[in-house]
Amino acid sequence: MGFDFDIVSRTMPAMLSGLVLTLEVAVWGMVIALVLGLGAAALGLSRYATLRRIATVWVALLRGVPLLVFMYWVYYGLTQASGISLGPMVAAVLAVGLTGSAYMAEVYRAGITAVDPGQREAAAALGLPARTAFWRITLPQAARYVVAPSVNVFVGLLKGATIVSVIGVADMLYVAKKVSVQTFTPFELYTTAGVILIAITVVVAVIGFLLERRLSQGRERYA
Amino acid sequence: MPSPLTALHEIGAHLPQLLAGFGVSLVIAIAAMAAALLVGTAIAVGATSRWRIVKALSFAYIQVFRGVALYVLIIWVYFGLAIAVGVNFAPIPAGILTLALLNSAYLAEIIRTGLQQLGHGQSEAGAALGLSRWTVLTRVELPQALRAMIPAIGNQFTDVVKDTSILAVIAVPELMYVSQNLAQQDFEPFTYYTFAGVLYIIAVTVITAIVRRLERRRAPARVAAPAGTSVVSETAQEGIL
Repeated sequence: MGFDFDIVSRTMPAMLSGLVLTLEVAVWGMVIALVLGLGAAALGLSRYATLRRIATVWVALLRGVPLLVFMYWVYYGLTQASGISLGPMVAAVLAVGLTGSAYMAEVYRAGITAVDPGQREAAAALGLPARTAFWRITLPQAARYVVAPSVNVFVGLLKGATIVSVIGVADMLYVAKKVSVQTFTPFELYTTAGVILIAITVVVAVIGFLLERRLSQGRERYA
Repeated sequence: MPSPLTALHEIGAHLPQLLAGFGVSLVIAIAAMAAALLVGTAIAVGATSRWRIVKALSFAYIQVFRGVALYVLIIWVYFGLAIAVGVNFAPIPAGILTLALLNSAYLAEIIRTGLQQLGHGQSEAGAALGLSRWTVLTRVELPQALRAMIPAIGNQFTDVVKDTSILAVIAVPELMYVSQNLAQQDFEPFTYYTFAGVLYIIAVTVITAIVRRLERRRAPARVAAPAGTSVVSETAQEGIL
């Protein structure tokens, strides 16, 4: 069995432009996850039981549904139910982003609860309004607990975004599949795609590690 | 928008098929989880080994399989590897193999953390009592590490159950595959994907509840987790897919 490098180098440009789509889905999904996740976390920490319950349900629903099922539900199901046709890219970003928001909500919640309540009490004692205390005191301190797990979530979304070809986004694996059907070289092309994706997740993980180290400067190190 | 009544009727008419698919999902998840636990435990022991080469290989295994996406691995195994080595995998064994490989790496990392939290006292005490290294590992360290890690292991199992949906791409007749076929055949994607989603949510909720009960029932942990380890909650894992 020989490894056909020639087909790999010839397919590479098309695969890389497909990769851009996967990255776009992951990045836009992460943007949605960061924003909606913070909203869900805020609801979850609210003093009103109804709001807390909404957050719990949000997280339980979105974490309970496999991404593939959710993506099909958004792309085919919602289109059928609402009559509004989302393009595959929009559907993919929505599915990835909404799923990510449930994971991010947990990350924010854990980070915010990790900040010593004494900080909030001190802010209250100094006469800061609760809102200011949250944005200026609690959230910045929670940030350092949030960074590393957020990078984990992003890696998860990136891995999740590899499935977008199932709803017709012409990503790297879509290209690999199409070419390998013609040339009968699935091993070469899928291996290449896999190696590229692993390399990206490793790079992202390293960036996360560096960021985390930077943010925990001047703090005791946690085990 | 399909009316709720029609939707219920459609589901009702195909309920046996859908539940059979769900059964396949669960059986595959259990088989993959069992295999992943065995392999993961071995890799975790390897990662805490004294031999540097064993340690390095175990870490490499964990890194590789935690870095790869399930969808990529499954098509690589099922379409790529099969052609390269000239074997024709049946979809179900290929699916179980892939799920087990991937999740064994996550479980290895969980169990390794459990082993390391035990500290040296346990193995030293075992050695002082004249127990063999093997006995200490299998009778003293692993039972404690596994018990301490029940929540994380249970969480991983919910991921395995969700992961089985990806096996639809290699035509394993599990819940997602059955739902896809019915959705296409009846042109009712909303109904069938909603129902599939509900079943997965039920499975995840039930597993989570069982794990919580197990956790509550177990004797209070004798080994306190080192400060700060709980900050990054176990819920913040990469198990999105």
